[in-house]
Amino acid sequence: MPDKHLSSQFDADLNSLSSRLLEMGGLVESQISTAMRAFTQMDIDTCNVVIENEKLVNDLEIQIDLACTEVIARRQPTARDLRLVMAVSKAITNLERAGDEAERVAKRTKRLIEGGAAHNINVAEIRLSGQMAINLLRRSLDAFARLDTTAAAEVVAEDRQIDEEFRGFVRKLITYMSEDPHTISTGLDMLTIAKAIERIGDHAKNIAEFVIYVAKGADVRHIPHEDLVREANKD
Amino acid sequence: MNNTSNIDKNIFAKRKRANKIGLSLSMGAMLLGMIFLFWILSVLMFKGFSAISLDLFTHSTPAPGSDGGGLANAIVGSLLLVGTCTFISTPIGVLAGLYLSEYGDRSRVAAITRFVTDIMLSAPSIVIGLFVYAFIVAQARHFSGWAGTVALALIAIPVVVRTTENMLRLVPGSLREAAYALGTPKWKVAFKITLRAAQSGVMTGILLALARVSGETAPLLFTALNNQFFSTNMNAPMANLPVVIFQFAMSPYDNWVELAWGGALLITFAVLGLNILARVVFREKVQG
Amino acid sequence: MMSNMKSMFDLNKIDSQGGKVETTNQHSEQAAVNALEVRNLNFYYGSFQGLKDINLDIEQGKVTAFIGPSGCGKSTLLRTLNRMYDLYPGQRAEGEINFYGQNILEPGQDLNLLRSRIGMVFQKPTPFPMSIYENIAFGVRLYEKLSRSEMDERVEWALNKAALWTEAKDKLNQSGLSLSGGQQQRLCIARGVAVKPSVILLDEPTSALDPISTGKIEELINELKHEYTIAIVTHNMQQAARVSDYTAYMYLGSLVEYGKTDEIFIKPKRKETEDYITGRFG
Repeated sequence: MPDKHLSSQFDADLNSLSSRLLEMGGLVESQISTAMRAFTQMDIDTCNVVIENEKLVNDLEIQIDLACTEVIARRQPTARDLRLVMAVSKAITNLERAGDEAERVAKRTKRLIEGGAAHNINVAEIRLSGQMAINLLRRSLDAFARLDTTAAAEVVAEDRQIDEEFRGFVRKLITYMSEDPHTISTGLDMLTIAKAIERIGDHAKNIAEFVIYVAKGADVRHIPHEDLVREANKD
Repeated sequence: MNNTSNIDKNIFAKRKRANKIGLSLSMGAMLLGMIFLFWILSVLMFKGFSAISLDLFTHSTPAPGSDGGGLANAIVGSLLLVGTCTFISTPIGVLAGLYLSEYGDRSRVAAITRFVTDIMLSAPSIVIGLFVYAFIVAQARHFSGWAGTVALALIAIPVVVRTTENMLRLVPGSLREAAYALGTPKWKVAFKITLRAAQSGVMTGILLALARVSGETAPLLFTALNNQFFSTNMNAPMANLPVVIFQFAMSPYDNWVELAWGGALLITFAVLGLNILARVVFREKVQG
Repeated sequence: MMSNMKSMFDLNKIDSQGGKVETTNQHSEQAAVNALEVRNLNFYYGSFQGLKDINLDIEQGKVTAFIGPSGCGKSTLLRTLNRMYDLYPGQRAEGEINFYGQNILEPGQDLNLLRSRIGMVFQKPTPFPMSIYENIAFGVRLYEKLSRSEMDERVEWALNKAALWTEAKDKLNQSGLSLSGGQQQRLCIARGVAVKPSVILLDEPTSALDPISTGKIEELINELKHEYTIAIVTHNMQQAARVSDYTAYMYLGSLVEYGKTDEIFIKPKRKETEDYITGRFG
């Protein structure tokens, strides 16, 4: 936030909200990374790490939501302060769900490993989109920290690529599964994992939309992309 | 630690001492004043009490040398003089005070009026008496109650003007603004709101003016003079308590001296009563 | 039968985008009448300029709030609207203030009549030194001749409007000063409402009151706005956010921003406005 409030405690409270959001984002990022590593290496211990740490993500959501409520109760924030608190409150929901998706990846991976027939399908797409999802999430949080609307608009645009990767993988899976019905069980687990990654991308996109809301005051959810870019670049 | 508490104790002890000294000095001064007040009152009571009787109120002043008598004519005369004075000076004084406070804040007329009022407040009453003598009594070639009334009014009006103006000024501007904000014309604001808000203070001023003129002697010497007989004719010399006291106090006749003390007692208690009344009126209104 | 057909016809009205339009809403939006229009208003205390080129509209039937730091001119502006400044020599206003089309700054206005149409309630409760009944009857008597029973009705009506009737009905003959602070202020509001003005100006009406009295008066403002146009000056921003439909932010005699209250408090257009309402001073 550029200028300081008359109340330095208020400044501290708002800064704390932002930094805790970023802290939660970092945790979720590492959860996704770890889950992707578990998937790539098919390592059951790594899966368990992700599953255990999921609790931390949930706790953070509850704590930060409480902090948001307290700021509203005590300070009656207005204008951009109000938008920031609203955005943080919503962004942590997105982060928490992204954390859930990471856990889902880990759990499915575990099932795959326990099932045994993991290495038959070429999972390059999943690895690729996993990287993209982590990258998008990092960039959306980065944009939030700097309230950079241009960067946020780019994140929104690139989420599409993840969506396309997902659709490509689904087509491939269908072909694979229709050729050999024994692979259906594995295929479905793979589908779930791919879908989880696609959802992570969506959550990153939502966070980027909130960046534009805080900085420009425009609610850019559910509007055509050209309009979003216009709002992001408005003065 | 010990050092600081010692210093504190010293300072505290000094302050207590200074407090005691101040308190004793002021109480001493007050007692001094009270002693004289009570001395006067007790002497009055002592010397004048014997004169208090029904006769005092029913008989007129006795001729020199004759026995008995009372102060009936003087009492009635004083009441008439002070009464008519009030009747004249109240409207003039209140309206002038109203003008000064509400209308003439910056005008030259107001400034001059205030200046003149202040001078007259401190003018020696004998000078005022002389003035009225020259303009009314000498012209008419006789003393009269009306001349006395005029003289008393000239003393009372400045008091009423001043207190009215001061009391009106005490009314907060926000009250006037509230009245204006309703669309009240200026004269109504002045009379129905401001004056009404200050009414207890204004009445106090009037009562105090009355108390002042009830005891004025010098002006009456030149104007109403005195009248040995009972009379309510304002066109002729009018008996009144202050001049009677003046005449009787230093006379060789015992009954005259006694009556003088009685008259003094009456005046004193009348003035005291008016003052107390003024205070009661003011306090009631302030609390209500 | 005819009127039914007419309303059916109206409901079937379709606007240019093909959507159905609700007649009542459209009617009130198109007919947004301004009770007061301020144009190029400059105000001077002697040689000091207190207001600089103010332009704004005060919409009929709505509450407009004026906010800003001390000395920004919000009270000054309010007091030009009923020409209160005329009481003090050396204060003058230039420009136009149109009250339903009539410029009230023109010389030769009947100011007393104007002030009965544009009423004002002040920060400090100022009941007149008379009974509660007389307090209210005083203003009414200035311009209307009512019989005793009509006056009784008017007094009851005004006290009801100010949410004071139940508390005051048994002591109408007691002095106005016997009421509590919050009640006194409501009495002043009743007094102002009794003369049935078009516009009511409120100059920091709750600054001197406790939170409960403040809440009651804010609730009052909410009910009054249906029949009166209200302009309120307040140094409490949250109050402006709670009670007003439009908010004007002023600073050092100029109007910085003016708009719908929701917009001002969620997404103000000017940085100065945002800095003020979020508490970023200096």
